[in-house]
Amino acid sequence: MRNQELVQVGKSALKVDGRELVTGKAKFSGDFNFPDLLHGYACRSKIAAGYIKDIDISQALKVPGIVDVVLPKDILGGNIVGILPPYDQPVLADKEIRYAGESFCLVVGTSVRAAKAGARVVIATIEPIPPILTIDEALAKDARKIHAAGNITVSKKLIKGDCAKAFAESDVILEDTFETSNQEHAYLETEVVCAVPYGDGRITVHASCQSPFHIRGHIAANLNVPVANVKVVQAYTGGSFGGKDDTATEIGSLAAVAAVRQGKPVMISNEREESIVGSTLRHASRIHYRIAAKKDGTITGKEIKILLDGGAYAAESPFVAMKALIHSAGPYKIDNIKVESTALYTNKTYCGAFRGFGVPQVTFASESMMDELAKKLKMDPLELRRKNALKPGDLNATSQVFQESVGLIETIDKVIDLNRSYTLPSKKQDRYLYGTGFASMYQGISNGAEGIDVVGASVQVMQDGSALVGIGLTELGQGSRTVFAQIAAEVLGISLDKISVKQVDTDTVHDSGPTVASRSTTVGGMAVYKAAGEVKRSLLKMAALMFKTEENNIILKDNFAQLVFDENAKIPLNDVCVAAYWTGFPLMNLSFSKAPEAKYDQDTTQGNIYIAYNYGTHMMSVRIDKLTGEVKVLKHLAVHDAGKVVNPKAFEGQVEGASLTGFGLAHLEKIQYREGVIINPNLADYAVPTIKDRIPSETISIETYNPTGPYGVKGIGEPPVSGAAASFANAVAKATGIRFKKLPITRQVILEAINRKK
Amino acid sequence: MLIEFICNGKEISVDVLAEMRALDLIRNELLLTGTKCGCSKGECGSCTILVDGIPECSCLLLAPKLQGKVITTIEGLEGADGELHPIQQAFLEEGAVQCGFCTPGMILSTKALLKKNPAPTVTEIEEGLSGNICRCTGYTKIIKAVQFAALKLKGSEI
Ligand code: FES
Ligand code: FES
Repeated sequence: MRNQELVQVGKSALKVDGRELVTGKAKFSGDFNFPDLLHGYACRSKIAAGYIKDIDISQALKVPGIVDVVLPKDILGGNIVGILPPYDQPVLADKEIRYAGESFCLVVGTSVRAAKAGARVVIATIEPIPPILTIDEALAKDARKIHAAGNITVSKKLIKGDCAKAFAESDVILEDTFETSNQEHAYLETEVVCAVPYGDGRITVHASCQSPFHIRGHIAANLNVPVANVKVVQAYTGGSFGGKDDTATEIGSLAAVAAVRQGKPVMISNEREESIVGSTLRHASRIHYRIAAKKDGTITGKEIKILLDGGAYAAESPFVAMKALIHSAGPYKIDNIKVESTALYTNKTYCGAFRGFGVPQVTFASESMMDELAKKLKMDPLELRRKNALKPGDLNATSQVFQESVGLIETIDKVIDLNRSYTLPSKKQDRYLYGTGFASMYQGISNGAEGIDVVGASVQVMQDGSALVGIGLTELGQGSRTVFAQIAAEVLGISLDKISVKQVDTDTVHDSGPTVASRSTTVGGMAVYKAAGEVKRSLLKMAALMFKTEENNIILKDNFAQLVFDENAKIPLNDVCVAAYWTGFPLMNLSFSKAPEAKYDQDTTQGNIYIAYNYGTHMMSVRIDKLTGEVKVLKHLAVHDAGKVVNPKAFEGQVEGASLTGFGLAHLEKIQYREGVIINPNLADYAVPTIKDRIPSETISIETYNPTGPYGVKGIGEPPVSGAAASFANAVAKATGIRFKKLPITRQVILEAINRKK
Repeated sequence: MLIEFICNGKEISVDVLAEMRALDLIRNELLLTGTKCGCSKGECGSCTILVDGIPECSCLLLAPKLQGKVITTIEGLEGADGELHPIQQAFLEEGAVQCGFCTPGMILSTKALLKKNPAPTVTEIEEGLSGNICRCTGYTKIIKAVQFAALKLKGSEI
C-alpha cells in the first residue's frame, strides 16, 4: 500500500449520499410516516433529586387520543440503559429521581399534541431530597450516596517513572487549577426513533443514532426478547458527535416497548429542550496540574489530578475518564508522570461522549500550563513545545512507542513557519488588544483502552460491474460512507459512481462496534480494504483466464481489467464480473479488521493502548475590544498529522467543524444551572456558534504514513476540538496578559477581567 | 378551514385547523419532509421555507397564513429532469453538506439572498444566513458554496 499510485484515495470526492441531502429526499427518523403512527412523550422530573412516591396516570388516560402510559413496571426486561458497566441507569426512573429532566413515564397518543396534553396531567408525587450538585459536594465525607456504590463512578491512575524525584530535582515547578463547563452537542436534529412492528414477529427501530448495535442489544434486553428479534436501522442522522449513543438507546428501548404493547408504530422525537436536559453533555471538569522542568525547558515531571463531573449516571464516564487520564500530559516526551482521573456522580444531566472525549478538557489545562512555563523560563512557547515534542521512537505517557507516523514536530514547524509570515495588526490603536496563542495536542485513534476493536465489512460486486459496501459503522455527517466507497473503488478499480454504501441495518451488516474514537477510517477502512481485496482476487483470477495470462499481469482500473504492460488490452469489468459469476468465483466477501488489542497494566496504565495517534498544533490570533470584551478571531491555523488524507475536502470540513465546536467550548457555550435545573435549554440562551461566530480556520495536513490504517490513514473527526479550544485560551491570555483558568472564557468574563486589571 | 396556495408550482387546496403550524402541514399532510424541525421556536432555521420568495420559519407560521401565497420548499428546487438547482449543486461540490439536516434551510435562505443580492459580500452572506444554524461544518464551506452559486447564477433567473 505504501508508495502506491492512488486513483481515488487522496482525491476530493463528492459526498456519496449528498444528493439525497441537498434535495431533501434523505429520510431521517422523523420523516417516517405510518397511517396508524403513535407518538410517545416522556414525563420528566422538574427537580434534581427525589424519591418517587406515586405516579398517578388516571387523568392522563382520559385525555382524548391517549392510548397508553408506559411505566417502569411495563418494561418487561431489565429497565436498563447505559452502554457500559456499571449499567446503573434505568430507561424510566423507578424509585429515585437523580437529575432534573429524568423521565419516569411515557405517554403514548395518536398525535404529539395529545401525548403532551396527557403528560401534563400525569400527577407525580416525588419527595424532594437535597441534590448533590458540585464536585465538592459529591466528594464530601458524609455526602449522600447517589448510587449504592457511592459517588465515585470510576478512578484510574497512570504512573510512569518517579515523579517525586523529578519534582525534587527540578529547577522550576508550576502549579494551577483549571475548570471547564458542560457543553451540549446541539446536533441540529434532536434524538428521534421510530419503532415499527412490521408484522414479521420482530420489532424494527428506525433511529437517529451512532451505534445501532448497542441499541439493538438494549432493546432486546428491555423487551426481554432474543437479540435476533430486534432490527435497528440507522436513518439519516442529523449529527451526533458522540451524543446519540446512550440517549438513542434510552428512547429506542422506550419506543420499542410502547410499540410492542400497542402493536403499532411509535415515534419518540425529543424536543430541543429534552435534547438538552435529557441527553448526555460533555463532562465539566476540574483539573489540578503540576509541572516540573529544567532551566533549559526540558519537562521532567507532571502530576495531574482530574475530576470529571459526570452527572447522574455512569454512561460513558469510565471511558472518558480513561481517555482524559491517558492524554492529560500532552503530546510530549516526559519521563515521570503521575495522573489520577476520577469521574463523579452529581444530581445533574448525565455526561457521555462528545467529540474529543475528555481530551479537550485536559488539553486546555495542559497547554495553558505550557504557555505559563514558557513565560516563566522566558522561552518561545513553540520552542518549548518543540523541545519536548514526541518523536518517532519516543515513549509516550503510557510508554507506548511508535516508530513512525509521529508528525508532531512537523506540525509545530509548519506553524513556526507560517507564523513568521503573519503579522498581527499594530497595537497602537488603543481600543484593541491583540494576541496569538498556540496549542499542541494528540489524540489516540481506535477504541484502545475502551475495549477490543473489531469491524466487519462486506463488499459485493454485481454482474454489471458495480459494487455494494456494507459496514456496521454509521454515517453521521462526517463522510464515512464516502471514505468507504473511495477505499472500495481504489481496490477494485471501479469508479466511485458505481459504488453504493448501505445504511447500517443490523440485519444486513456485521456488528462493527461503536462509531467512536475517530476509528471509522482506520479500523473500518481496513475491513473494507480487506473485503474488497478478496473480491478483487476473484476478478483477477477470472481476468487472467480470459486474457490467458498470469494474475499479476493484470490491473483493475477505470472499470476495466487491463494488462499491466499494454493499456490498450482491456476487458470491461462487467464482462469479467459476469464471467466470474457463471464460473462460480465468489463476488462477495465479509472481512474483519481487528486492531491490535490494548495491552497495559491496570494499575499504572503503562503499555500499548492505541493503534495510532493524531498529532496537531494550532495557532489562533485574536483581537479583543477593551471596551466590550468582544473577541474576533483574525487567524486560525489547524495543522494536523492525520496520516494519509482520503478525501481532502471532507477532511477540511471535519477540521473546520470540529474547530468551531472547540471555539464554542472555549468562548461561547455554557450550560447553566439553578438548583440543578438547566435554565438555558434552548438555542437562544445556549449559544451555539452561528455563522457570525465563524472562525477563519485554515486546514493544513502533514501526511505521515500510518502502518495500521489502509493506505496510511489515521483519523481526524475529534482532534481539532482540543487544538482550537486550547489555542483560543492562550491567545486571549497573550492579548490581555491575564490567564483565564475556566472555560468558557466569554466576552463578559474577559471584560470583567480587563476592568479589574485596570 | 379550507386554504389554497401554490406549493412548488402546484396548486394546493387543503383543509386545516386554525392552529396548525405551516411546518406540520408541509411535513405531515403534504408529505414534504425535506423541511426539517430542529427547535420549533424560530431559533435554528432548519424549517425555513420561502413564502412569496421570503424565507420564513415554518415552525412559527400558522398554516392558514399560507392562504393565497406562493411557497417553495426544498423539494421545489430540483428541475423536472432531476437536474439539481445550481445552489444545490454548489453546496454539494463545495462540501457544504455534512449531516445535511441544516441543508434544506440553508439552501432556501441562500436562494432568497441571491435573489435580492446576486453578488453578496461575505458579510452580507453571514447576514443572510444568520438565522440558520449548522453544527457540523463550521460554516466556511457554506460561505464558499454561496459564493460559488452566486457566480454560477450570475444574471440568470433564480
Ligand atoms: S424548527 Fe423552526 S426555527 Fe428551528
Ligand atoms: S451539516 Fe449538519 S447541521 Fe449543517
